[in-house]
Amino acid sequence: MNNPYYPIDTVLEDVITETPTIKTFCLKPVRPVRFKSGQFMQLTVPGVGEAPFTPSSDPNIAEKMEITILKTGKVTDALHELGPGAKLGLRGPFGKGYPLEKLEGKEVVVVGGGVGLAPMRSLLYGLFDDPSKYKRISIKFGAREPAELCFRGQYNEWVNLSENIDLTTTIDVPHPEWDGKVGLVTTLLDDLDINITDSYALSCGPEIMLKFVTLKLLEVGYKPPQIYLSMNRKMSCGMGKCGRCNVGHYYLCVDGPDMCYDKIKHVPNVFG
Amino acid sequence: MRFIDSTNFERLLKKLSGEGELFVPVLDEDSQKNHFERVEAFPLPEGTNFEGFRAVETLKGFAQLVRSMVARYPTEGMDEMDVEALIPTFVIVGAKACDVRAMQLVDKVQVEGEFTDPFYKARRDKMILIASDCTEAGETCFCNLLGSNPWPENGFDLSISKVDGGYLVETGSDRGKTIVEENSELFTDLREGQEKSRDEVRMKVLAGLKATNKKYPSGEKVTEPLREALSDPLWQDEAARCLECGACTNICPTCYCFLLFDQKDESGEGFKRIMSWDSCQVTGYARMAGMGNPRPRLSDRMKHRLYHKYDYLVLSHGEIFCTGCGRCIDACSASIDMREVFSRVAK
Ligand SMILES: Cc1cc2nc3c(=O)[nH]c(=O)nc-3n(C[C@H](O)[C@H](O)[C@H](O)COP(=O)(O)OP(=O)(O)OC[C@H]3O[C@@H](n4cnc5c(N)ncnc54)[C@H](O)[C@@H]3O)c2cc1C
Ligand code: SF4
Ligand code: FES
Repeated sequence: MNNPYYPIDTVLEDVITETPTIKTFCLKPVRPVRFKSGQFMQLTVPGVGEAPFTPSSDPNIAEKMEITILKTGKVTDALHELGPGAKLGLRGPFGKGYPLEKLEGKEVVVVGGGVGLAPMRSLLYGLFDDPSKYKRISIKFGAREPAELCFRGQYNEWVNLSENIDLTTTIDVPHPEWDGKVGLVTTLLDDLDINITDSYALSCGPEIMLKFVTLKLLEVGYKPPQIYLSMNRKMSCGMGKCGRCNVGHYYLCVDGPDMCYDKIKHVPNVFG
Repeated sequence: MRFIDSTNFERLLKKLSGEGELFVPVLDEDSQKNHFERVEAFPLPEGTNFEGFRAVETLKGFAQLVRSMVARYPTEGMDEMDVEALIPTFVIVGAKACDVRAMQLVDKVQVEGEFTDPFYKARRDKMILIASDCTEAGETCFCNLLGSNPWPENGFDLSISKVDGGYLVETGSDRGKTIVEENSELFTDLREGQEKSRDEVRMKVLAGLKATNKKYPSGEKVTEPLREALSDPLWQDEAARCLECGACTNICPTCYCFLLFDQKDESGEGFKRIMSWDSCQVTGYARMAGMGNPRPRLSDRMKHRLYHKYDYLVLSHGEIFCTGCGRCIDACSASIDMREVFSRVAK
């Protein structure tokens, strides 16, 4: 039987501490799970429950999967207690994923904040497959403090991949160990050296950040069709059946979770 | 179309009850409303009533149980789990047009598309539906505003219309045809005037519906004005009376929203994944980690229910997900009447 509520048995192979509140969980499902960057999974902690997460790993690898998770409630607290060998379950992938085809030949701006950097990493891996397909890949990451910047150890490796990749970071408030930029992630959008008419901007992060990033992007000249946001709604089924994750008439789990701002800009409370 | 007299119809039901669980509407003397009851033995229960209007209960509860297990862990054996074998056949007699239509609508969500809910689908496949004409309409019935008639036109196996001494029977599926063929000795040809007398009742009921609902806008005239009314103060007004009990969504034949949650099983080692009805009217429905809630106010949620049915599902599935059965009006302790709300919206 093809039962979409049934999770695929999955073993937790390793846990990487990224920040004090964020860990990356390296998973091995009993059979390969193919996903596109931006598609999400429902991760089961047996006996505790399920929650939706977007893998942060390379979409070309189906045998293993990494998911980077902020500790914030029932399921995520339980996950953060687990170590290698723990048994988990996966359903999915669900959703559409990032519109990679659209980005070809464009200047791509990737704006991430907090744990939003996690889904962005799978987007980046997708783009890094062949960076020459894009005119430019400009990464803007922000966090509250230096310790909360996920994947910091990888940033150099990324920019060294190709000439057209750049990465800038900022933290919200000054910190003794930080000599870089200070300010909200939107400050990285202030003096954009980007040809905006030939660009797409994609963003993932807390709702409040998405809101201000969107306002900023509009202010600097982006049009709503050029903006893609990883939206967040409570989810249960992951496949358009439980009715929970509406943004306007879209079901985020089917039509998203990354949504073109043009399609949802009229929705009341769109940023929650 | 064929005729079956009342005695033979009961014989037919007795035979069909051998196929699975048989449910019929039984009239409650006090409330004068039909309730579906399981028939355990024959003769049919006193008060069995294939006439009148829709029962208090919807059909959705047959296809999507209030609570049911959809997976378990450890998962050994789940892959081979034979859903078909787990689910009994139901024979439901006397379902009205609005309820048959509601199931067709919910099918669009639970069966069609990239994923299918195998449990829902199996229950639908195993639902033998014998629909029946309304011989009167309730005060809150408004199927006519949704462009439907108070008699079933499709979506059933058999459909019966009361005439003198028995029923006219129409087939609506291959399964329905087989039932008639295999029991052909119970049926006779139509006598003259029987079809005409059926049509007279139908027209009378339809005329009554039109009279009751004269002052309200039809469903197709609601969607556009709704889109204009997103920030109309009328929503706060209407919501001020709402008690947030969720009765309207529970009783709605097209409200299909559910929640999945995991429960430790009896052994304490594994868990069961439970699917349970849920209501978009309660605060916690859409609340996220960190307490974010896209619909924090009751007026947002009331709006959501009506927009979902009359706007969002029109855009995503091409249909208004309301059949005009009027149950939400009957069920509302605050007397909120969707028809009145829409009159305000479409004024
Ligand atoms: C498409 C998508 C991708 C996501 N990707 C990531 C990611 O990569 N990393 C990460 O750390 N977080 C991600 N989130 C947020 C994450 O799903 C929530 O933090 C998580 O559900 C909280 O679960 P909890 O049990 O710990 O919290 P509780 O507050 O105890 O939540 C209880 C239950 O409600 C549901 N729920 C609560 N909040 C949300 C929410 N925001 N979205 C959906 N369901 C929710 C879940 O079923 C959860 O188990 C994503 C959310 C969505 C919708
Ligand atoms: S809404 Fe129409 S079809 Fe449904 S019970 Fe009332 S009259 Fe019959
Ligand atoms: S999560 Fe169930 S409809 Fe989107």
